[in-house]
Amino acid sequence: MRVDDADRGRVWLRDLLGEVTNAQAWNGGKPRTHLNLAFTYLGLVALGVPKPVLGGFSKEFRQGMADRAALLGDTGQSDAGQWEPPFGSGQAHVLVTINAVDDDAVADRLRDLRAQIDSDGGLAIVYVQHAHLLQGAREHFGYADGFAQPAIEGTDEAAKRVRGGGVPLKDGGWRPLAAGEFILGYDDEDGSPPNAPPDPYGRSGTYMVWRKLHQDVALFRRTLRDAAELYEDGDETKLRAKVVGRWPDGTPLVTSPEEPDATFEPNADGSNDFRYAGVDPTGGRCPLGAHIRRSNPRDALGWDGLLSFRHRMIRRGMPYGDPLPDEAVEDDGAERGLVFVCFNASISRQFEGVQIQWLNDGNIFRLGHDKDFLMGDSTATAKMTVQGDPPFFLAPQPSFVTTRGGEYLFVPGIAALAAIAGGA
Amino acid sequence: MRSSNESGQAYAFMAMTPIVQGEESDLRSYLEGIPRSSSPLAKLPRTHFARWVILEEFHHEAGQRRREQLKSQYLIFTSNFDGPLDSYLDELGEQLVEEAGEIWGRCYGCPRPAAGAPLKDYLLHNQIDTGLFFAAYADATVERVVASLDQRERMIDFAVETQGLTPNELQRRFRQEFCP
Amino acid sequence: MFLLRRLRPDPNSPLVRLSFIHFARWTVVKRIPHNEGQPREKLRYKHLFFESNFNGGWEEYIDAFSHILTAGMTKLWGSSYGFPKPLPTAPFKDYIRRNEIEASHFYSAYPDATKSMVSAALDLDQKLAAFKARACDLEPEQFSREWRAFLTDVQADL
Repeated sequence: MRVDDADRGRVWLRDLLGEVTNAQAWNGGKPRTHLNLAFTYLGLVALGVPKPVLGGFSKEFRQGMADRAALLGDTGQSDAGQWEPPFGSGQAHVLVTINAVDDDAVADRLRDLRAQIDSDGGLAIVYVQHAHLLQGAREHFGYADGFAQPAIEGTDEAAKRVRGGGVPLKDGGWRPLAAGEFILGYDDEDGSPPNAPPDPYGRSGTYMVWRKLHQDVALFRRTLRDAAELYEDGDETKLRAKVVGRWPDGTPLVTSPEEPDATFEPNADGSNDFRYAGVDPTGGRCPLGAHIRRSNPRDALGWDGLLSFRHRMIRRGMPYGDPLPDEAVEDDGAERGLVFVCFNASISRQFEGVQIQWLNDGNIFRLGHDKDFLMGDSTATAKMTVQGDPPFFLAPQPSFVTTRGGEYLFVPGIAALAAIAGGA
Repeated sequence: MRSSNESGQAYAFMAMTPIVQGEESDLRSYLEGIPRSSSPLAKLPRTHFARWVILEEFHHEAGQRRREQLKSQYLIFTSNFDGPLDSYLDELGEQLVEEAGEIWGRCYGCPRPAAGAPLKDYLLHNQIDTGLFFAAYADATVERVVASLDQRERMIDFAVETQGLTPNELQRRFRQEFCP
Repeated sequence: MFLLRRLRPDPNSPLVRLSFIHFARWTVVKRIPHNEGQPREKLRYKHLFFESNFNGGWEEYIDAFSHILTAGMTKLWGSSYGFPKPLPTAPFKDYIRRNEIEASHFYSAYPDATKSMVSAALDLDQKLAAFKARACDLEPEQFSREWRAFLTDVQADL
């Protein structure tokens, strides 16, 4: 939404405060909907947040994603100049996220929201994006996604997620990550709270990255089909898995390099408990440049994970658009892809670090300038080596993924929301 | 000349020359105005990495009892190149005639013209020996590095393009590309 | 002041394994040479000058120094005023930022190449020369087998 009037905008926010989902436990079972708020820098300015507070937000947040798009590899067809309005135009101020059990619940909540805005005035809805889980919790290329998340100290899920989701330890065990890697106001892995705007604005808040990523599923299918003709007697499924680092059901390649593991259950305890350095240092099982190995190298960069542990993110993305029918290899022109969402205490160290150094370049993996073959940057991915005897090469291709737009946002804690609404 | 300036065949040179009072901002403008794509240092093909840095003052740290107050600003020139030093400075004296005047010519004691043997002596006089020099590939010259990088690119393209070719065709293409 | 040893690039040393530094140097400036016309300079302190040519992001680079070269960092910088410990990283990064000087002009003979690319290219060069020596004149079938073995051997360089 765009804020057109600071006073009215704050009234609307004040009215909505009671409905914002917080960290309290659910007494009556799972609610029908959740509602959360996030703000771009320009949104905070538009709502009249005081100057000294504004200066406390990070440089990259204040600059905004569009200005940094080239740095992120959003060039060519993903260039910020071609983003869908309002992204990058300065008009995206407030993001209202509604999570719901079904489409009807979303529709109801959205209707109430619109009614509230009409009555309060001072704001306009400038964009609506629907997203929904696909069958089997897969994303559009067909891969189980979203179940691997960081284990965070002090959370209920830490114990369940820590094996695989935490920091790998020398003895083969794991430990959870400090909360301050993801939430401001808490000690981070450096032992002190991360940079944040002054209290109460910073406390319990976090930075959010929102990106609409269009996926050309047909191009992905055709490309891998054609490339697989020369691969191990045409094993397309395996070649695709080599690009991703997992089989479609989520089985990690590194633990199961020849075929998916029928017993693999993404949400089971320890499903994410694997690492690379000891069992697969040269990439013969899971290629050195495979997507999941790039986005979360675990201990693969050497020194027991010391170079990776400060670049984790909480991901809450969701697919949008209807799936392309299973056998189709020609694009139907429909809009589909991933609404990528992540939360971190430092956009530059975490999200941007991974995007720029690990996805859009290969140096840290000793892969020269090879980029992530799945996501790459838009001026065509470089080749990808599938390590083996002999190695197999995927030739450079046009990108499968196009950035349609995005924003850097701040998610205030409850007290901070009240402060913003109060105009204090 | 201490051997700590060397590692393998690589040499780490540093000269620190005092900038004439009043010339500091002109020198800075000149240096910052040099386009990356046409650096005069490209005329010294044995140079791996080099830079000109202007030292205005030493940063004062808490705990230092006295201030280090420099009487001049200094131009630091560092270069990592294929040794030996002697012939490198000869080349510099011949190739950087135009630029040397604009750069070292703004420093106290620089010969006029800033060229040839007098310039070499000036730089040697102002050399600061390296304490500890790390060179990741100390035995590889610029020429060899550049040629190898280019060959690597060609090999990558070749490996990708020849996947699946018959042995005859593969060998023919290999000979063509790599066995002149 | 502190011990400065010769630094040979031992393949197992952390600096080499970190694989993003081309060249680095540490120099102690004890006295500044005198030139005609120059106001006489007498340094009160010795100053440590550090220069590095590396790839990747600044933050990643400093993080590596903090977490991995911790002992080395302390040894080299431990006697400098204001030097905090290499860990935690935040004060260490501030220290570096405070004492950093930007170059007015920088030149690289191969600006697009990372250190690991250079190492890979040099290794490939050596192996390719050996391959050419033994394989160029073989029969196609045998050449093909040798090529496959060669490619398997150099894949990490490509």
